[in-house]
Amino acid sequence: MSRAEIHVLAPTRFADRPDLPGFVTDVRPARRDPVGRAAKAADLAGLAGLVVPFDPEGVESLVSAAGALRATRHARVTAEFHPAVTTPVYAAKLSASLQRFSAGRLDWKIAVDLDRDVARAQGDFLEGPDRYRRAAEFLTIAKGVWHAPSFDFEGEFYQVLAGGLRFPASPGPFPRVYLSGSSPEALRLSAEHADVHVLDTADQEIPDLPGVTLGLRLRLADVDTTAATIREQVDRGVGVFLIDAEPLPDAAYLLGESLIPRLARLARQDKETVRG
Amino acid sequence: MVDLYWRLHMEGDQTSLRHRVNSRGGFAPDAPGRIAPGVRDGAPDGFGHLDYLAEVALATEDAGLVGGLMPSFPHTDDPWAAAASLAAETSAYRFMIAFQPGFLHPVQAARMTATLQRATGGRVVFNIISGGGGPPQLWWGDKVDHDDRYDRTSEFLDVLKGVWHGPFDHKGRFYQVENAGLPDWLRGQPFPEIFFSGSSPAAIAAAGRHADHYLSWLEPFEALAEKFALVRAHSETPPKFAVRVDVLARETEDEAWEEIRQGWAARPARAAEHGDSVGVRRGRSFLDGAGDGFRDREVQPNVWGGFSELRDGPAFGLVGSYAQVAARLDELLALGVDALILAGMPHLEEARRIGAHVLPLLKGPLS
Repeated sequence: MSRAEIHVLAPTRFADRPDLPGFVTDVRPARRDPVGRAAKAADLAGLAGLVVPFDPEGVESLVSAAGALRATRHARVTAEFHPAVTTPVYAAKLSASLQRFSAGRLDWKIAVDLDRDVARAQGDFLEGPDRYRRAAEFLTIAKGVWHAPSFDFEGEFYQVLAGGLRFPASPGPFPRVYLSGSSPEALRLSAEHADVHVLDTADQEIPDLPGVTLGLRLRLADVDTTAATIREQVDRGVGVFLIDAEPLPDAAYLLGESLIPRLARLARQDKETVRG
Repeated sequence: MVDLYWRLHMEGDQTSLRHRVNSRGGFAPDAPGRIAPGVRDGAPDGFGHLDYLAEVALATEDAGLVGGLMPSFPHTDDPWAAAASLAAETSAYRFMIAFQPGFLHPVQAARMTATLQRATGGRVVFNIISGGGGPPQLWWGDKVDHDDRYDRTSEFLDVLKGVWHGPFDHKGRFYQVENAGLPDWLRGQPFPEIFFSGSSPAAIAAAGRHADHYLSWLEPFEALAEKFALVRAHSETPPKFAVRVDVLARETEDEAWEEIRQGWAARPARAAEHGDSVGVRRGRSFLDGAGDGFRDREVQPNVWGGFSELRDGPAFGLVGSYAQVAARLDELLALGVDALILAGMPHLEEARRIGAHVLPLLKGPLS
């Protein structure tokens, strides 16, 4: 089996901590940075990264990702957002600063297929396949201003004139783009723009997306079962795993202690099997 | 109480006003002898612009200033990115984030703000700018024209406040939301103070509705007083006033002017700026007919209009001894100003200098 990238999903709501027995002096300060602590755990546990999901009932992901990048050294931090939150030029500019601040460790997960009521509460009234066309324009412009010294775009949803980030050298790598979905529109968008296409389910048919890495979101069962699932999925060509494990940061340390070594052991066995 | 802020250079910093060269952070290239990004043995030395910004923020806290204005232009790093990055390593520092309403959706702005308020214990402040127009505005992909941008700003702030206290429904000219709000555990936090900039009639009308503080660049004091009177006349509830002031203060007046003399002698030729900023035009108008010598730009004692030749930004600032600069700041406070945004080059050492030598001399608005 080849190497699998293990990312954890960040907590987006501030969970209560277990009460201490009444006779124990409790000086725990208010929790202000659960995403940063989870990110640090993922970093120190040797995981590939942390994903901050778009959660309308939770903290905002780009702001949280910025704090997580500051708290880490090696982990990649992926912020999930939907294209209606900002203009593509501004998304690129904010992200370019984060890339410069973090040595290029920020990635984007673009949520296109929002629930109708959630979208409207976010101020987004676009529906159906149009959302994929807008996402395509959004990504085209963001990449365009990132890479081109002068970039013009006249589209259905956006216009830019003489855009282009004014960095002396390159602002660093454009964030890796995660996309998902199984509709024809979603797969077309992924073919054009995805670096990672996240499958909807573990038994979804493998889409034909040449050059795109496949990803899968998994809930952590026990370590043995999850390791076995990852091994199966790696054999199907999946390379990136977004693990839903609670509570963080503890679950990230658990993955570092047990899941990562288990996967390494399985990979060694596979090699020996091939040689044998 | 008077809130004293210090500017945070999102565009990079100079080592002094004597040479107009960015050598710390910003978009300066890696080179030996520079700070952020610096070079050690031919490779980046691991101290980046954000590390330098953090140092300036901590120096600002140490100096007794309440926080920093974080500007936003095409040639700067992004203030939301920097504020969110520095939230956890500052303790009292207020992040005055400059942003243009056109670039973020108000629901997104509400969610980002509530997240940062929670992370910082309520240390976010807004500097709402509506854009200088011209080519820079098109660079951002924003085609809304000057006066419409203030209408959009007004509607943006209505929606942002509505969402903050939601649930909120709205169908307007620029924005529409249905049942928008914040999750329970992010609700009920303080809404950031709004510092509002703009010198045009459209800006002043919008400021009258939304500003906690009407923020102006430094101008000759009489002109400032007139501008404030105009804003008061246009406002149902008059806002407070804030002024952004560059300061070059030294032990003696001669030392301060010698810095200026050297900078003036070394200043590069300037390209003309394009845009529809009324504030920039006003700033130039006070210098019509000024001669070519650096002291010709001193329009009243210690008020010097040549800063824009020595660094990016507004023309006017204060030059003088510690005591003179403190006296001029007191005069500004006496005009009814209750927040100052001070700045100096380099931002790190000058923050410490001002904290040690000028702030202790202030007598306050009642002197």
